[in-house]
Amino acid sequence: MLEDYFRQYGLLFLFAVIAVTVPVGMLALSYAASFVRIRPTRQTPVKRTAYEGGMPPFSPKPSRFNFRYYYYALLFVVFDVETVFLYPWAVRYGLLSKQFGIFALAAVMLFLAVVTLAYAYAWRKKALEWT
Amino acid sequence: MTAHDWWIIAPELAAAGLAALLVIADLALRNKRILAELAVIGLAAPLFFSLNLWFGWYGDTTDPSALFGAITADRFALFFHFLLIGVSAAVILASTKYLERMPGLRGEFLALMLFSMSGMMMLVSAKELVAIYVSLELTALPVAALAAFHRGARSVEAGLKFLVLSAIASALLLYGMVYIYGFTGSTNLEIILQRLNEIPSQPDQPFGSYGVLLGVVLIVAGFAFKMAVVPWQMWVPDVYEGSPTPLAAFLSVASKAAAFAVIIRVLYAAFGSEPLTQDWSGLIAALAAVTMTVGNLLALSQKNIKRLLGYSTVSQAGYMLAGVAAVSANSGSAGFIAGPQGVLYYLMGYAFTNLAVFLSVIAITHRTGNELISGLNGMGRRSPVVAMLLTVGLLSLLGVPPTVGFMSKAFVFSAAVNSGLIWLAVIGVVNTAVSAYYYLRIVRAMYFEEPSSDEPIRADLRALAATGTAAAGVAVFGIGPWFLLKLAEESLTIL
Repeated sequence: MLEDYFRQYGLLFLFAVIAVTVPVGMLALSYAASFVRIRPTRQTPVKRTAYEGGMPPFSPKPSRFNFRYYYYALLFVVFDVETVFLYPWAVRYGLLSKQFGIFALAAVMLFLAVVTLAYAYAWRKKALEWT
Repeated sequence: MTAHDWWIIAPELAAAGLAALLVIADLALRNKRILAELAVIGLAAPLFFSLNLWFGWYGDTTDPSALFGAITADRFALFFHFLLIGVSAAVILASTKYLERMPGLRGEFLALMLFSMSGMMMLVSAKELVAIYVSLELTALPVAALAAFHRGARSVEAGLKFLVLSAIASALLLYGMVYIYGFTGSTNLEIILQRLNEIPSQPDQPFGSYGVLLGVVLIVAGFAFKMAVVPWQMWVPDVYEGSPTPLAAFLSVASKAAAFAVIIRVLYAAFGSEPLTQDWSGLIAALAAVTMTVGNLLALSQKNIKRLLGYSTVSQAGYMLAGVAAVSANSGSAGFIAGPQGVLYYLMGYAFTNLAVFLSVIAITHRTGNELISGLNGMGRRSPVVAMLLTVGLLSLLGVPPTVGFMSKAFVFSAAVNSGLIWLAVIGVVNTAVSAYYYLRIVRAMYFEEPSSDEPIRADLRALAATGTAAAGVAVFGIGPWFLLKLAEESLTIL
């Protein structure tokens, strides 16, 4: 019983060891390679720029963006979570309706009503308008 | 869910439904002035369902337990339902004028307050650790939003402080619950007690095991944040000062009552057998002594009336904890007034008292905009009715007979003496004497200082009605405490 308990944590410990060793090992290997002239260190301005998906950087610093993105982000989370809840429910609906009857439908309808109310609120309070 | 379950959780559902209805009404209605009236009238629905459970009019309500034993509608829960609904109605009535300063956000204010209230109703009914935790979060999150309602620097600070500190308190609480669950294998309070009695305990360790000790201490710490008990009182003055005053009134009465309800239920239901009670009684008694002393000493030098009242609620929490610690007085003998009974009476009386004080302060500061104690100078002449109501409330907070505050203190301290906690009662009485300084300072400012202007201040009629009812309760239940005592006694039959 107790051994099983520690075996589970042993796996976690192993995972942690690998997670630390791999990136640290890569950096150490790269550093060691510079001594045997496999990896030369010659700095150029291009090499020193921030990596931006391979494109040359557009602007020097993070620019401001519209506050309303936050509204979109929040609303997105609401609908995202809604989908996460609906999907397993829809897959198992046959089983659930056998066990709980109409209540399996009613519970999710209540949940949808709450989310819809939140959506109506955001709409009415002009969270979806850009200007 | 069976029909029986629906009847049992109907009060909570009605409260949450009312909050949702207010959001819809806010979106649909053009005339937003009637929202507050709608909220107060709507509170009749949860009140009706609670009364139904108390008297058993409709439905099958003989077994108060529902949802697999997670929620109960016993007398104890219903007692607090009545208290919470009454407090919410009074706060909403008194803040209608105040809300007109925030024209676009009236519906949100009321809806968030009612969502928080539905969480509190759930909290006092919960009989299972996970249900307690979830309802505690439902209580706290709307309050954090409400505290930041003014959007000024102070208000946002209050909201953020409340959010972060309540998250820390929740973490402590969860950690304690995990220990208790790990030790007993159950989250149901009654089964926890059963298992604790079965498990062989080490006599040299408190609670029979250090694991349980850690669990109880962490759970008490988590609730102590809500009750504003030292050393978890730091948020109180800042949040009271920064947040809208109606919210401060709501927090100081409703939130505190719910937290006391849940701590009494957890301690008595899950740790209520004989050797365990002595262990936590000592812990609570120490917290009580520290809380009343620190709260009083810090209140002495306050200049802002909301901060002063914040520290005053801290010290009042200390007096109430003395009743929770008085556990030996609870053992059956008819001549004694049981500790929890004193606490329930104290909470009801405190609700009347603190509402009278806070609602009068709202009525005055709403007009003057000055929240310093010196801003109340000469109110005895400028606004005689409100000043009188405020004086009644302050005298009750101080504990002058024949107010309800005197009776509550008498019951709680006598219960402490009967449990052998004489030292705690002595500290309580000394603290009461100290508190006279700052309570009477407000009265002196109102009646003996020269006002800055002679312009009279007229209070809103609805606010005056709510404040007057609260002050009348202070006088009536102070002179005739029998009804409330009987109610408290009947509510405690489950313990």
